[in-house]
Amino acid sequence: MDTNRILLLLAVVLPLLAAPVIALAGRSLGRRVGWFAFAFPVVSVAVLLLLAARMGLPGSLVIEWPWIPSLGINFSFLLDGLSLFFALIVSGVGVLVFFYANFYLDDHHEHHGRFYCYLTLFMAAMLGTVLANNLMLLFVFWELTGLASFLLIGFLHHEEKSRVGARQALLLTGFTGLLLLAGVIMVWQVTGTYDLATLLGSGLPLAEHKDWLTVAMLLMLLGAFGKSAQFPLHFWLPNAMAAPTPVSAYLHSATMVKLGVFLCARVFPLFVENELWAPVLAAVAFSTMLFGAVLALWSHDLKAILAYSTVSQLGYLIGYYGLGPLQGVEYDFLHILNHVFYKGCLFMVAGIVIHATGVQDIRQLGGLRRRMPWLAGICLVAAATMAGFPGTTGFLSKETMLKEIFEAMNGHGALGAYATACVVLTSLVKVAFSFRFFANLFLGDETEAVKAHFHAPPLAVQLPPLLLAGAALLLGVWPGLLAAPFHWLTVEGLHQPTPPLSLWHGVTRELLVSVAVVLLGFGVFILGQRTAWRWAAIPRALRFDDFFERGLELFSKFTKWLTRFLRADKPVDYLPVIIAFMLSVVGGFMVLALRPVLGELATRWEWNMLAPHPLRSFVAALISLAVIGVLLLRRWTTQLILLSVAGFLTTFYYVLYRAPDLALTQILIEVVTLFLILILLGRFPRSAELGEIVHRPSPLRKKLNVVLSLGVGVLMTTFILWFNAAPHENRLGRFFAENTVELAQGSNTVNTILVDFRGFDTLGEITVLLIAMLGGIGLLMRYKRTAAEYREGPLGQPGMGIQHSEEKLK
Amino acid sequence: MNGPRSYIFNSMVRLAVFLVNVFALYLLLRGHNAPGGGFIAGLATAISLILLSLALGVQEMHRLLRFDPVLLAAGGLLTAIVTGLLPLLVGKPFLEHFNFHLHDVPLLGEVHVGTPLLFDVGVYLVVVGVTCKMIFVFAKSTQGLRALVAEEERRYSSPVEQPIEADVPRAEAEVGNQGKEKTHAD
Repeated sequence: MDTNRILLLLAVVLPLLAAPVIALAGRSLGRRVGWFAFAFPVVSVAVLLLLAARMGLPGSLVIEWPWIPSLGINFSFLLDGLSLFFALIVSGVGVLVFFYANFYLDDHHEHHGRFYCYLTLFMAAMLGTVLANNLMLLFVFWELTGLASFLLIGFLHHEEKSRVGARQALLLTGFTGLLLLAGVIMVWQVTGTYDLATLLGSGLPLAEHKDWLTVAMLLMLLGAFGKSAQFPLHFWLPNAMAAPTPVSAYLHSATMVKLGVFLCARVFPLFVENELWAPVLAAVAFSTMLFGAVLALWSHDLKAILAYSTVSQLGYLIGYYGLGPLQGVEYDFLHILNHVFYKGCLFMVAGIVIHATGVQDIRQLGGLRRRMPWLAGICLVAAATMAGFPGTTGFLSKETMLKEIFEAMNGHGALGAYATACVVLTSLVKVAFSFRFFANLFLGDETEAVKAHFHAPPLAVQLPPLLLAGAALLLGVWPGLLAAPFHWLTVEGLHQPTPPLSLWHGVTRELLVSVAVVLLGFGVFILGQRTAWRWAAIPRALRFDDFFERGLELFSKFTKWLTRFLRADKPVDYLPVIIAFMLSVVGGFMVLALRPVLGELATRWEWNMLAPHPLRSFVAALISLAVIGVLLLRRWTTQLILLSVAGFLTTFYYVLYRAPDLALTQILIEVVTLFLILILLGRFPRSAELGEIVHRPSPLRKKLNVVLSLGVGVLMTTFILWFNAAPHENRLGRFFAENTVELAQGSNTVNTILVDFRGFDTLGEITVLLIAMLGGIGLLMRYKRTAAEYREGPLGQPGMGIQHSEEKLK
Repeated sequence: MNGPRSYIFNSMVRLAVFLVNVFALYLLLRGHNAPGGGFIAGLATAISLILLSLALGVQEMHRLLRFDPVLLAAGGLLTAIVTGLLPLLVGKPFLEHFNFHLHDVPLLGEVHVGTPLLFDVGVYLVVVGVTCKMIFVFAKSTQGLRALVAEEERRYSSPVEQPIEADVPRAEAEVGNQGKEKTHAD
């Protein structure tokens, strides 16, 4: 194996394998497991940098292992500018977040092992998604990130808020992920490959399959919109903030939600020529951008403000690819990097503030600059970056953004104008809430809430945000530093050559707009401060998460109603339905199939085909006797035993046809079910048995029952006669019987089928058996427990809430 | 166990348990080449344990077995999966089996064994575990005993559990959890 392969395994597969180890290590290491987990992002960063240095950028490299080659699905990884850029962000921010989490999750928290396990799993899944070359592999890792996100949002699962947030995130991103899968398969159907490198090299057959590929594109974009929280699927992201803050900083601002952006960039060269690409992306994304920014201004919760501003920024990043010129985009990496810097930093600042004060509402905070001067400085830089002040990467991003959007106005007409309006308004609102975020946290007088709870955070926890803010400032002042890396990371088809960035472009239209936006934004901020932000509240009509929850509740009510509607109080009542269905469908088809052969059968018919075999008839008579006994006798236990007798007698036929395995199985199964039902009968009081006798069916129902029973008898008899009249060749059975010694090296065909030929089925079956048992226990424990029984705690009353009426009467 | 106990029954059961298990082991080992196999052997062992529980009382079984039968089933599934994964180490597909033919083994002579037996042991354990667990749970619940011991309760239930029946209003159940009322509603 060459070095590149080993390096890739170290970067992606090592953390994937390490995740369960971390969970186990957490038991003995406790809190210190975080430092063990910290090693993995560090390794990933180092290895990825080494890989980038070895492969010679700009360029691309494909590393592949076979997985299911017959279906074209392989462990195939594509290293190029785009994937390495995202992979380095994932692992780089990972280093900072793991470091930060080690201080954030102190001894008040439990289950450190589990937490770092999920976090490492998430990082590995992210790396897999961005590096994947095979679209199917990309989908698998894509859903794995969603799963890790679900686990992390629900980490504090004893809080209802966490559970609801986790469920929303899983349902939405999981469902849109399935749409992505559909899109991927549609692309495969017309191109015959899942391989991204091949697709990017040869392009899509847009001319022949235009409509088909348009649908595929829309499905893939829906996947991207779900993951990147685009309107109207945005609402899961603010609710995902129920997760611990390091998770919010990592998954829900810096990395996972950017997967949608990544996907748009990845398929940009494939789909950009489609006429729906620009309108769909631009309309959805720029609306999201403005909408998110306004909601951020209306929020008071620290993390909600940041979450909505993330929604807004993601809208911009996606819309950017939508309006990108056909030759390629220019500064996408700058915008993404800028967002990572300030949003990651602000989330960590918010986390430190929440940790230090225990307050999450911005209206109850203030005057923290005296207590935490370092943090104030960091937050100032980050907020300035968010607002786009000169000297930060935010300024560069905003200047290029305005420039490009003005250019897009020429190319895209009305769409460009709409985008421009959204961008300018969003910038204005962003300035306002950036001011608010900094000023209401650090300026002014100390509030009562702060005085009451404050405890100083350790200095080291401020290091990661300091690094991010420092990077934003450094690269903002010397943008020339970015030229070389961006050149290396150029991807053919996605990017076009960029003019170098500089801090001062002279007095341009963009600068003037920028100044106006800052002034107006400051005006909004002052207005807000004067009115104490009393008007700021998210109107009920925009609470999409409430609608979603209500929809879920309605759905569960509907299913419950449907179940009750279809339910019968006695199991016996289901029988006529089942039998009538069987008679009409099976019997109907049999009549249709038999009609042509009936004549032929009649010619070959000989009465001795019905001649009774003495031994078989004897057993059949015994079985009939037992069954008649079931009907005549009235005690449940005797009926049961008679049924069992019938079952045991069936074994005779297996012996007769030389199937000893089946005979043994039949005997043992009969014994176990007999025990089981006998034990269950003990649950019913005597009165139930008596009640059953009293309950007599109506005469009409009796007639119906007779008709149905006779129908089944006729059906089965015809079946058997038919099969015996025209015995068919049992090819499958003969194959197994002939090859059992040679292929499976065992002479018991039944067993070799079970463990060898069909071993996979057996594995599935025993898994289902185990799951069914666990589900059964779960249901039994919860079955019809009353509130009073719940009060007794999970142990409940003896007998799992089933009380015999006689016992109660005593 | 409720009701009268029979000395004869108890003694017979002890003998039967021994015989049935020897037979089950025999079925398990010969399964690949003659009638038998993991599923059948598992059922036989499960029946022997159920007989034992009838003789000694179900609550005794927990003390006797010292572990939750579910662990047995989980271990069985793990065995089967590991058997399936082993061939991957040597570059063969999942669930590929290997057989070995040994000559001149002391006492046994020629022996034909392989990974199918390991897989069958997995099936055997799953069947024993699942059957015993379900029957023990039912048996205990019908005899007015707690269906699970405290340790198992922690394993299968959650402290945030709430009624699934719509008839029990959520608020009432929450009040109930705080233990403010002590009336017995039914």
